[in-house]
Amino acid sequence: MPAIDVDSISKRFGAVHAVSDLSFSVAAGRVTGFLGPNGAGKSTTLRMLLGLVHPDGGRAGFDGTAYGALAHPSAHVGAVLEEASFHPGRSGRNHLRVLAETGRHPASRVDEVLALVDLDGGAAGRRVKGYSLGMRQRLAIAAALLGDPEVLILDEPANGLDPPGIRWMRDLLRAQAAQGRAVLVSSHVLSEVAASVDDVVVIAAGRLRASGPLETVLGTADGPTTRVRAADRDALLAALSSAGIAVDPEPSGSFLARGTAPEAVGLAAAGHGVALTELVAVARSLEDAFFELTQATT
Amino acid sequence: MSALLRAELLKLRTTRTFLVLAGLAAGLSMILAGLGAGFEDDPTPARLAEIFNSNLSSIFVLILAIVGITGEWRHRTITSSLLAGPDRTRFLASKTLAYAAAGLVMAVVVSAGITVVGFAVLVIRDLPTPQLGDLLEIYARNACVTMLLGALGVGIGAVIRNQAFAIVAIFVAAFVVEPAIAALLPDAGRFAPLTVLPSALTDTPESQSGFDDEVLIAPGLAALAMLAWIGVWFAAGAALLHTRDVD
Repeated sequence: MPAIDVDSISKRFGAVHAVSDLSFSVAAGRVTGFLGPNGAGKSTTLRMLLGLVHPDGGRAGFDGTAYGALAHPSAHVGAVLEEASFHPGRSGRNHLRVLAETGRHPASRVDEVLALVDLDGGAAGRRVKGYSLGMRQRLAIAAALLGDPEVLILDEPANGLDPPGIRWMRDLLRAQAAQGRAVLVSSHVLSEVAASVDDVVVIAAGRLRASGPLETVLGTADGPTTRVRAADRDALLAALSSAGIAVDPEPSGSFLARGTAPEAVGLAAAGHGVALTELVAVARSLEDAFFELTQATT
Repeated sequence: MSALLRAELLKLRTTRTFLVLAGLAAGLSMILAGLGAGFEDDPTPARLAEIFNSNLSSIFVLILAIVGITGEWRHRTITSSLLAGPDRTRFLASKTLAYAAAGLVMAVVVSAGITVVGFAVLVIRDLPTPQLGDLLEIYARNACVTMLLGALGVGIGAVIRNQAFAIVAIFVAAFVVEPAIAALLPDAGRFAPLTVLPSALTDTPESQSGFDDEVLIAPGLAALAMLAWIGVWFAAGAALLHTRDVD
């Protein structure tokens, strides 16, 4: 059973269909990126998953149980939502003490998670209104980790973090998944997501566009793609054909060999004495895939 | 439930709002008691009772409770509160109990301050002081009112989510609407929860409350009526909290 299961959920705000019949699942032990343009319905989906927003239809839950029905919700799921919520006059440590008390977590966890997010020492005792955006984000992550949860949900967790902070976040997510936790992370920083995630869920206008392992969504699941060009196109085609390499012609005159590495293409051409003028690996970036998948609605 | 209540009490202790409002309530009440004792020339038991009944904690705990519950929305702490404890009725119930407890603490602090100032001025002026039993009765009634208004404030704030509007609304209700209803429609006005019922429960004389004795019902009945008001506002607040999206 998936750690997170979203099944046909929908939500309307007046005339706006924020989320429409959306289904996806998140597996334990993997980091799943939740992607979509602004207004795609990511935050609404996460809030429905966490019981903060009531869906008009469908269901969402954890191991088959809705968030509010979990025996010990904050010990099962830790969440950082896009708008971090703190009382500005309360210190970071006291914010966590309140949440530890509410969630029935040991008080000792407060200092443990503060150390984990590098907020221990003087910063924890200062009032939150004096915190930088990055410090607030670290405090929100500390709150999510209080219950040592099996599932982590993070909405734009890299917001406000500096480059070392972003790297720290990426390492944290990978470490959490390596320990068997399910991690669902939404982000608009596609390069960051591409470096962190195993799976992706792409939505636009509240509807699912793609989901699955990152390689599948990028179209690289069948192996690398190579672009090749030669002055003598017929000789090149014959060489590749004799090596069993299928290619697609491109308007520019080059060929695309899907599922074949440049080395294999180069060897096939050399074997027939064909001089190449171009031989490159073609990488489809997450950004390319994202824009193709969401183009219809943006 | 006890964990939620402890969390709410911790929230109260970890910001300055409670201390500031309790300090204001104590300071203003002590000034009133001091002035009352300082200008009193005919210290009958009834007049002494008025001096030691100068407890303003009830209005301040009402503001505290409204700031507390509406602040959850204003600072968006409602999100983390409901993530840590998703049962919305329990959340509201624990907050209601916490602000009733805050009312008790505030009433005790203010009563202690009034006692020190009132006794000091009366002794310096070589005037008689009230009996301890009479004082304890006054303070117990004030503590009851303050606890009930703390609980009522949470219900009101759960319904009226806008903090500034809620505070203005209770001032208008307390100082304009309720006195007008009490004067024009006494049969209905005697059940007004912010001013008339508290005056009945504390047995505040007309000279101090401004309400005709005939409007004020028996203290026990007043306490029951206030509990009913708390129930109505709590139910309305809980229903809204259940249906609202936290977005």
